[in-house]
Amino acid sequence: MILRLRKKKKDTRPSPSELMPPEGVPLTLEVAGVGVRLGAQITDIVITVVALVCIMILLATLDVTSPQTIFAIGALLFFLIRVPYYVLAELVWNGQTLGKRLMKIKVVSHDGGPLTTHALVLRNMMKEAEVFLPGTLVLMLDVASPVASFAALGWILMCLFVPIFDRYRRRLGDMMAGTHVIHLPVPVLLKDLASEPRAFGENRKQFVFLSHQLDHYGAFELQTLESLLRAQNTRPTTDGGRQRDATIEAIVEKIRKKIGYADPVARSERLRFLQAFYKAQREHLEQRQLFGDRRENKHYAKNGEDA
Amino acid sequence: MKDQDLMRSARFRKEREADWQRLEKLVLAAESRGLQHMQFAEARDLASLYRQATTSLAIAREISLDKALLGYLEALTSRAYLCVYAPQERLGGLFQRFFTHSAPQAMRRSWAYILVGFLCMGLGALSGYLLYFESPDWYFVFMPSELSGGRNPDATYEALRSVIYDENPDASGLGAFATYLFSHNTRIAIFVFGLGVFACAPAILLTFYNGLMLGAFYALHVERGLGPDIAGWLSIHGVTELSAICIACAGGLKLGTALLFPGDLSRIDSLRRAGRDAVKLALVAALMLLVAAFLEGYGRQLVQDIYARFIIGWGVGALWLTWFVFGGREQR
Repeated sequence: MILRLRKKKKDTRPSPSELMPPEGVPLTLEVAGVGVRLGAQITDIVITVVALVCIMILLATLDVTSPQTIFAIGALLFFLIRVPYYVLAELVWNGQTLGKRLMKIKVVSHDGGPLTTHALVLRNMMKEAEVFLPGTLVLMLDVASPVASFAALGWILMCLFVPIFDRYRRRLGDMMAGTHVIHLPVPVLLKDLASEPRAFGENRKQFVFLSHQLDHYGAFELQTLESLLRAQNTRPTTDGGRQRDATIEAIVEKIRKKIGYADPVARSERLRFLQAFYKAQREHLEQRQLFGDRRENKHYAKNGEDA
Repeated sequence: MKDQDLMRSARFRKEREADWQRLEKLVLAAESRGLQHMQFAEARDLASLYRQATTSLAIAREISLDKALLGYLEALTSRAYLCVYAPQERLGGLFQRFFTHSAPQAMRRSWAYILVGFLCMGLGALSGYLLYFESPDWYFVFMPSELSGGRNPDATYEALRSVIYDENPDASGLGAFATYLFSHNTRIAIFVFGLGVFACAPAILLTFYNGLMLGAFYALHVERGLGPDIAGWLSIHGVTELSAICIACAGGLKLGTALLFPGDLSRIDSLRRAGRDAVKLALVAALMLLVAAFLEGYGRQLVQDIYARFIIGWGVGALWLTWFVFGGREQR
C-alpha cells in the first residue's frame, strides 16, 4: 500500500479533465479523444463536400465552366467553402461545428475563459496545414517520387502523434490558439432510488439490516448495485427475463452469504430485498462518511490499517 | 411520504431539485439564444443559480453516495460554468477591427520577420540570377519543367515574347482566375506558413528556393533582351504575390522562432503568444494572394501595355504599403 501511494504521488498534476472555477469547486470537463474528434472532422468534410457538389452542379448547369478548368474551380471552391465554414461555425456556435454538435464535443479555451476570435481563426488555419495539406498529399502520392512520399508520411505521422502524446489531446493548432476540445456534459436527472415510495402494503415483510451487516461493503459496491437496480427498471429483456433472474439470484445469495443474513429470500421478494439493502447500505455509508469514515470500497478496512 | 422518512441525502436533493431544473432550462436557453438575448432576470438567475449549484455539488460530494445525483450535478455545473464564464464573444465589428487596427498593427510589430522574409526571397533571386549567367544549365536544376511551360534556355525570342504579350488569350474569366489562384505561388505560401512551425528551416528554404527560380527565370529573359518586358509581366501581379509569400514566410518564421527560442516562457505559451500576430500575417497574405490572383487572371490578359503593367503592379504594391504603414495608428 505504501508503494502504491508513492506511485500515485509521482503525478501530482491535476487530471486533464479537471477545471477549477473561481467558486473553488473542481469541475470535470472530460477531454475528447482523438477518435471522436476524427469522427467530427469526417462529418464536417462530408458536409462541405456535399455543399461543394451542389455548387458545382449549379455551375455546370449554368455553363460557366469548361472541362479544362473544372478541377481548378472545384479545388478553389472547396477551399473557399471549408475555410470560412470552420471559422464561422465555431464563431457562431461558440466552439462547435456541425460535426462537433453531432458528436457532442466542443472547443473550450484552455484557461477556462471565453473563446477569442483570433484563437478560433488560428486553430482552423492550422487545420489547413495539419489536416488538409497532408490529406491532399496522400491523395496525390506518386510512386516515382519516394522522397516526397516519405516526407508526406513523416508529416502525417507527426500531425497524428502530437495529439496522441498530449495530455489534453491538442493538435498543434490547439496549442497555438490555447484551446482544447471537451465532451459536452449532458445533465440527466434520474430518479432517486432511495426516495421511491413503498408501493407495498403494510402486511408485507420489511427487511431489516443490522449495523454490523452493513459494514461489509463500500461506496463502489453500493454504486454498482445502484446501476444494477436502475437497469432493472429500464431495460426490457429478450429471453423472458430468465437470465436476469439468474443474475439477481446469484447476487442476492452472495450478499446474504457475505453479510450473514439468515432468512431465506423468496423468489418474488428478491428485487425488494436488493432495494431495501441498497437503501439501508447507503444510509449507513453516508452516515459513516459524515463522521469522516469514507469507505471507497470493500477493502476500506485494510487501507485504513496501513495508512 | 413524509420528508422525515427520507435519508439526509435524499432530503438534500428534494429541497434543491427545483432550482437545478430551472438552472438546466436557463443553461439551454443561454446556449441556444446567447447571453445577450436573455432577459435581465434570466441572466441574473443563471449566475446565482450556477453558484448555488456549485455549492450543492460540493456538499453532495461530501454527503451523498447517489451516483446519478453526483453525475447530474457535475454535468449541470460544468455546463453552467461554460455559460457563465465562457460566453460567446460579440461578433459585431470583427472585420472592421481587423482592417482598421489589428492587421496593420501586427504587420508593424513583426517588421523584422517580414524583412527576413524579403531577404530570403531577394537573396534567392540574386543567387539565381548570378548562377544563370555563370551557366544556363542551372536553369534546369531550379525550374521544374511543368512550371516553366516551355520557357527554357532553348526557347526562341519570339516564343518568350509571345507568352509575355499574349495576343489571343484562350483561357480567361472564372476558370483562369481559379487556375492562377491555385498556381504554384499560392501553394508555396501555404506551405511556407504551415511549415514555419517546424523550426523555421522549411520556410526559409522554400522562400529562398522560390527566389532562386525567380532569379533564374528573370535572367533567362534578360539574356534575350526582354528584361523590361518580363519585369512588367511579373510586376502586375508579382509585386503583390511575392510580397504575400514573404509575409507568409514571416508568419511561419515567427512561429518557428517562438518554438526555437521561447525565452522565459514555456514553448507552448511562447507559441500561443507568437500565434496572435502570425495568424494576422497569414490572413493578410491570404488577402494579398486573392488580389494577386485577380490581377493575374484578369489584369494581365486585359493590360498588354508594359507601362500600364508597371503602374498597376507597383501602384497596388504602394497601396498595400500605405495600409501597413499608416493603418491603425492611434490619434495623438
